[in-house]
Amino acid sequence: MDCIITVDIGTANVKVSAFDLGGKLLGRRKGSYPTFHPQPEHSEQDPEQVFLTVLYVLKNLLNDEVRTHRYRVAMVGFTASMHSVLPVSRQGVPLANAAIWADNRAHYEAAELKKSTHGAAIYEATGTPIHPMSPLTKIAWWARHEPRIFAKTYKFISIKEYVLFQLTGSYLIDYGMASATGLFNIHRLEWETQALDFAGIGASQLSEPVSVFHQVTLLKKEYAQMLGLPASTKLMMGGSDGCLATFGAGVIEEGAATITIGSSGAVRVASRQILQDNQQQFFNYLLTEGHYVSGGPTNSGGGAFEWFAQQFGTSLAHLDYEATTNQLLKEAENTPAGAAGLLFLPYILGARAPLWNANARGVYFGVNINHQRRHFARATVEGIVFEVYSIGKLLEKHRTIDSVYVNGAYASQPFWAQLLADVFGKTVSTNDNPDSASLGTALLMLTNIGVHSSLLEAAKTVKSGQTYRPNTVTHSEYKLLFDLFERLSRQLAEPFEAIAAYQEKLAK
Amino acid sequence: MRNDQFLHLCELTHLKNQTVQLARWPVHKAAGLRILCITDGKFEWSIEGQKHILYPDDVLVICPWQTLGHEAGTLEIGAFEWLTILPEVLEKETDLRLGAWSNLLEGDQKIAGKLLAAPAVLPQFKPVHDIILKIENEIKRAEFAFQTRVNQLIDELLVLIVRQLGQQQNQRRDFSQVFQKLDQLLRADLEHPWTVEEMATIVGFGSTAFTEKVKAYSGFSPLNYLINIRISEAIKQMKTTKKSLTDIALEMGFYSSQHFSSTFKKLTGYTPGQYRKTNIR
Repeated sequence: MDCIITVDIGTANVKVSAFDLGGKLLGRRKGSYPTFHPQPEHSEQDPEQVFLTVLYVLKNLLNDEVRTHRYRVAMVGFTASMHSVLPVSRQGVPLANAAIWADNRAHYEAAELKKSTHGAAIYEATGTPIHPMSPLTKIAWWARHEPRIFAKTYKFISIKEYVLFQLTGSYLIDYGMASATGLFNIHRLEWETQALDFAGIGASQLSEPVSVFHQVTLLKKEYAQMLGLPASTKLMMGGSDGCLATFGAGVIEEGAATITIGSSGAVRVASRQILQDNQQQFFNYLLTEGHYVSGGPTNSGGGAFEWFAQQFGTSLAHLDYEATTNQLLKEAENTPAGAAGLLFLPYILGARAPLWNANARGVYFGVNINHQRRHFARATVEGIVFEVYSIGKLLEKHRTIDSVYVNGAYASQPFWAQLLADVFGKTVSTNDNPDSASLGTALLMLTNIGVHSSLLEAAKTVKSGQTYRPNTVTHSEYKLLFDLFERLSRQLAEPFEAIAAYQEKLAK
Repeated sequence: MRNDQFLHLCELTHLKNQTVQLARWPVHKAAGLRILCITDGKFEWSIEGQKHILYPDDVLVICPWQTLGHEAGTLEIGAFEWLTILPEVLEKETDLRLGAWSNLLEGDQKIAGKLLAAPAVLPQFKPVHDIILKIENEIKRAEFAFQTRVNQLIDELLVLIVRQLGQQQNQRRDFSQVFQKLDQLLRADLEHPWTVEEMATIVGFGSTAFTEKVKAYSGFSPLNYLINIRISEAIKQMKTTKKSLTDIALEMGFYSSQHFSSTFKKLTGYTPGQYRKTNIR
């Protein structure tokens, strides 16, 4: 029997899954790799270690789950985190670690471009908000700060391209990953000259853009041998994890949205149209040709709650970290909605959508003498959900959202899912398969080999799990609080600047 | 106290200070491994150039190459006690050997040495004071087999401190942070013949729980993860330096180039020689 394999190269680990041709998960393995912070603004990964981990996990999955059950691998497909970039030499040797999405080194380059006359045009052409996350600004950073590396660089590629280059010897990038670089024209499906000019490179210094369905059948013989796969095994490019997680949640047409809250978060909608936004608040990434995923990311998801648990879980010192977190979440759950009027602005890592203000900072507002730790715990979770809602609410100006699917380690927990339902005032569902990026990749492959007649048909096979209905009373309470949340976030713009400048001064 | 019976225990002192005294507590070094416990008052000391404010039941552990004292030399009001141990071997970057009096296993002594090499402040660690009192009582009373008891108590003190040091590493951290810390420690010394026990202690776990947690979090067994880092570092060296494969193998902690070669082939599909040739044309 045939099976397909998905390789999901994420931020913390790679997940390799095997599916049968009916889309049923047969098995999964993962392997993690670290993120380095050699300087405060840097978040880096070692492409060699990522590639070794991919090989190791893939080999284990093939040995344990595929060969033992006599499956034949019909195709291997890839997905990965967006925005990573590293320079390689003519020989394909990495000249530096990869800068991942969280890397903030290019904040000056981003600010400069955003202010310049080209900023709006580049955003319009590429669909990627002008931000230090995008490879566009990171490459400009290399040009200015590492001229020797920059001069030696043959190509700038993502971690996913590096893995594919190792396996096959060719430099290819799929439209999905390309559309998140800030360098790719999403209308014309080619590298965007204005963006290349700002980055200081030519199109030949990037990989060749190809469809997410593009197949390569040139697995190097050494890898074919060690993995026990025929060298003619079909490798399909696949897309980016953000778009495929939305597709894997069954969302491909207008009317539905996905909310992801893991350590960070995002709200996404799908459409056949690019979302026109002259405020530059939303991204437009390509799922495939003619299918777009639009939305906004936030820096503060579960990470902000983890920060809270680490700082204020101390009186529970007899418990280990996980037990402390669970205890605090229980306290939050048992505290009435609204946290007795305590409000949290969760910008401890600055704000991406919709404020796009790197200088925003966290705030607990309205503290009075009756507030206890449980109110702070509740307010922290509510604040995180409010920020997610602020993205969703803005998206609704452009798209109707009737149903919402949640995924990610936090959003899929019952307490968080119910809270999302209450704040959004909409029915919220989890997905049967929580790993929607892998499922999305699998569905893309199954469509490619003809199991499904179209992406639409493929999306219909996704099953939902738990459903949470909004409590109308709680929802109207949250409306009042959210109004305050929005006003505060806007009105604090000036003090945010001041405190961020002061913090930067202290850090020096 | 009769020093001749406890050559390895060179100091056991209480200091109670009721008025601020100038030039009594300058920054200085200890003669051996010093374990100090605050019992009263508040002290602002510099430990290896870093300022610390210490309160009762805070414990310090200082090696002879590290400095401790008040920056202006002032002895503040309060009380503290310390004991100083003279191990057979206690040097920077060398395996700790306590001596024949200790019952700690050789491997455990090495792990203890590695953890104690950085100056340590253990806030609110009460058991230390209790053990110091017990040691003192044993010596004062000199009852049957008191020497043995004292040696046991010193061992116990070290065990408690090393465990606490490890646990301090993972308190209030989720496992991803513990894992990140472990990754840093391994990377900082790839040549070292790491054992699972050693890795576990350093991040404050017993080896069974440690292996399970690492596997669940990372998908790797601790040793497989270590090998993964070693081979990825080796690959970088092979691609970017002219070092011989044997040198790279040894630097990465492989005991022979054969061992390196077979591990490399298993993980990458290439022998190191082929790999270098293919990647640096």
